Amino acid sequence: MILPAKNSPKERDSALLAAIAAGDRRALEELYLSYHRRLARFLSRFTPRYENIEEIINDTFMVVWQNAKEFRNASQVSTWIIGIAYRTALKSFRRQKNHTVASLEDYPEQTVDPTFAAEVNDWLKHGLSRLPIEQRLTLELAYHMGHSLEEIAAITDCPVGTVKARMFHAREKLRQYLPALSGVSADLPVRIG
Amino acid sequence: MTSNRRTETEHEEVSALIPWYVNETIVERDRQRLDAHVDVCVSCRDDLAAQQRLCEAMESQPALDYMPVASLRRLHARLDAMQADAASSSPPAGPPVTSPMPWRGWMAASIAAMAVAVALLAADRWVQFASRRGQSDYSTVTNSVPRPPGEVIRAVFSPAITLVELQTMLDEAQLRIVSGPTEAGVYSLGSNAALPVSASLALLRQHSTVRFAEGTSPEPGSGNSR
Repeated sequence: MILPAKNSPKERDSALLAAIAAGDRRALEELYLSYHRRLARFLSRFTPRYENIEEIINDTFMVVWQNAKEFRNASQVSTWIIGIAYRTALKSFRRQKNHTVASLEDYPEQTVDPTFAAEVNDWLKHGLSRLPIEQRLTLELAYHMGHSLEEIAAITDCPVGTVKARMFHAREKLRQYLPALSGVSADLPVRIG
Repeated sequence: MTSNRRTETEHEEVSALIPWYVNETIVERDRQRLDAHVDVCVSCRDDLAAQQRLCEAMESQPALDYMPVASLRRLHARLDAMQADAASSSPPAGPPVTSPMPWRGWMAASIAAMAVAVALLAADRWVQFASRRGQSDYSTVTNSVPRPPGEVIRAVFSPAITLVELQTMLDEAQLRIVSGPTEAGVYSLGSNAALPVSASLALLRQHSTVRFAEGTSPEPGSGNSR
């Protein structure tokens, strides 16, 4: 399916989804290719294994194929697709033992100095990995994917208040785990243990 | 509500919006509200700075890119398998839809079940038929039923032949009736020994009233039926 170039991404997504609802496999392929990179990058922050990432993405698009007719334009197509990916990922991560929520005691003491730029990524991963999955997903949807409060509420199928609460708790925990991010200790090299 | 209480509520509400101020998706009214609040709230100002650093750090994390082609191929394979399953069990193709008439699925399933039952019955009948073929309950003119003593030829004549015509024909061919006719009209003929069986067969086969004539003893040159 080839759409006119003048279409905006939203119009293009809507047209593709309508074609998918009519059984157009080429339209599904086009939509898949336009979302794969975004979803794979998002999911790779939770699991390093591409087979898991692919499984979640393909499960998501199986749902898109099967339910395209049910889409009623109550939200953007992108919000709908990412919402399906969110729920699929949540189920998948909950199934995986390595994504069970760990307590602080389960982790070794922080040994990374966050003042060194080369170590920031490991340090950040370390802090993010301590968050409950719902809180981390909310944080990633806001900071990595750039979604608005209302979009995250739609994606996660939660009230806006729940999204705010999850984000609040995530920020509080990160403030605790990653003191260098706080305004107070940002200039202090942290090396514990 | 006291002034302190109002300020505390405002602080909580505005503080909760900081992430969306940071990712620049906050609505204009809330952005102005937050701008005004951080001017007077050190805690929110610090938190805003911390969240901006966190957002930048998360955005700058290296991301791996994967080639989607192989994954897409596997998605197509799953869809093909799903559609093949659907085609074998029910009529709809393309994206599965909620049927407005769910009984259709049951009807299709019933028809499929009946078709399978009929096929099984037919197969059973065929097996029975095939097994009986090896032990037939009928006999052909030439099959190996016990041969009457002296029989050298089996023959079937036209029903219109008279006894005189039959006897004249047998005399000419040097043959005699040793048995028959059977229910199928088969005569077992013996030779008078003056003539070879092949010659007797040749004489018989000249008559239009002979429908069938075959030697029952192996003899070179014999065995052609009329």
